Amino acid sequence: MTTTQPTQPTQPTQPTQPTQPAPGSTSRPTPLPMPRVGPATDLAPQPIRVVLNWGRRYSLWVFNFGLACCAIEFIAASMARHDFIRLGVIPFAPGPRQADLMVVSGTVTDKMAPAVRRLYDQMPEPKYVISFGACSNSGGPYWDSYSVTKGVDTIIPVDVYVPGCPPRPESLLQGILKLQEKIAAETLTTKGIRAKYAGHRIASAAEVNRPLVPPPTKAAP
Amino acid sequence: MSDPTALTRAEVDPADWVETISAALAEGYTFFDWLTAVDQLDDEQAPGLDVVCHLMDGSTPKSLRRKLFRTRVPSGSSLASLTPVFRGVAWHERETHEMFGLDFDGFDDGTGLGLRPLLLPDGFEGTPLRKSFVLAARASKPWPGAKEPGESEHAKPTGRRRVSAPGVPDPEWGPR
Repeated sequence: MTTTQPTQPTQPTQPTQPTQPAPGSTSRPTPLPMPRVGPATDLAPQPIRVVLNWGRRYSLWVFNFGLACCAIEFIAASMARHDFIRLGVIPFAPGPRQADLMVVSGTVTDKMAPAVRRLYDQMPEPKYVISFGACSNSGGPYWDSYSVTKGVDTIIPVDVYVPGCPPRPESLLQGILKLQEKIAAETLTTKGIRAKYAGHRIASAAEVNRPLVPPPTKAAP
Repeated sequence: MSDPTALTRAEVDPADWVETISAALAEGYTFFDWLTAVDQLDDEQAPGLDVVCHLMDGSTPKSLRRKLFRTRVPSGSSLASLTPVFRGVAWHERETHEMFGLDFDGFDDGTGLGLRPLLLPDGFEGTPLRKSFVLAARASKPWPGAKEPGESEHAKPTGRRRVSAPGVPDPEWGPR
């Protein structure tokens, strides 16, 4: 059996500046800069932190990783009846680089896991993950399968798990409220977010930037 | 599509596989629908893999004429590839190859790379849709939840017989 496990960092992650690779040699990976908060946030007194957290919890641009039928429930939650925009969750971010929250809804397979990991690495800190549904929580009914990852938390850190198969849209709303409570209670420091992502900030910029896909070469007849 | 009378079935000898499909194409069955295999290696008379191919005639849209071909490839041997007949067979034959371990002679999808994995993750070993493939996840890590009555920490164990899913080995199986 092969299961995708997160590759361990081969070297301790250091706060390094991204260095430009030499022209012509694109194979050398460029280390990502370590996440940090701005100096104002680092030095802010507690009332200001409350205001900053208040702003952060009510403007969550969400990036939906819809992989299976749970994505339908996510879409239902974003539509008029349930409408999670009233909670400040803004769906359909242009891409992971503009998103604060990733909702993994659906079955993560070992083939898909590197893509989930790569898009998570592209999101800017602070970033949050909601695992939506039994499959992304633990593998769910496909736990015995040869191809399904046993929970998305084996590849990325998860903040809130929403149980169900599939969960109702109200469950996602409850999960968003739980996440907002968590954001309101947190104290964001450079040390804190580095500790949170230390074992997970392992990708290099070369890994999260894919080169152009070459066109298929056709053999001469 | 759902009209059962529009479907005809044909049992084909593996040696006549390409000729039969080519003849059906000339007969008007121009739409290749799918191709897959069925593991019949536990059949005592003729152990092998059943390869199934489904073709449609798109010129009769009201009652779609369909044809289902089946051939029994003996275990250990290979089947001639249909890629010269239908280009779209290439993905199906690659999937059948990786899932069942069946080789297709003369496979050519225009890239010259031959039969290679299509859906399985890199480095996957084994042919997962064969009946002999063991779903070994329970041997390597504990089941994350309580499936049977009495398995959780809140209830007492019952004397009920434990149910195991097909393909899932016994608790005694494998290295621990």
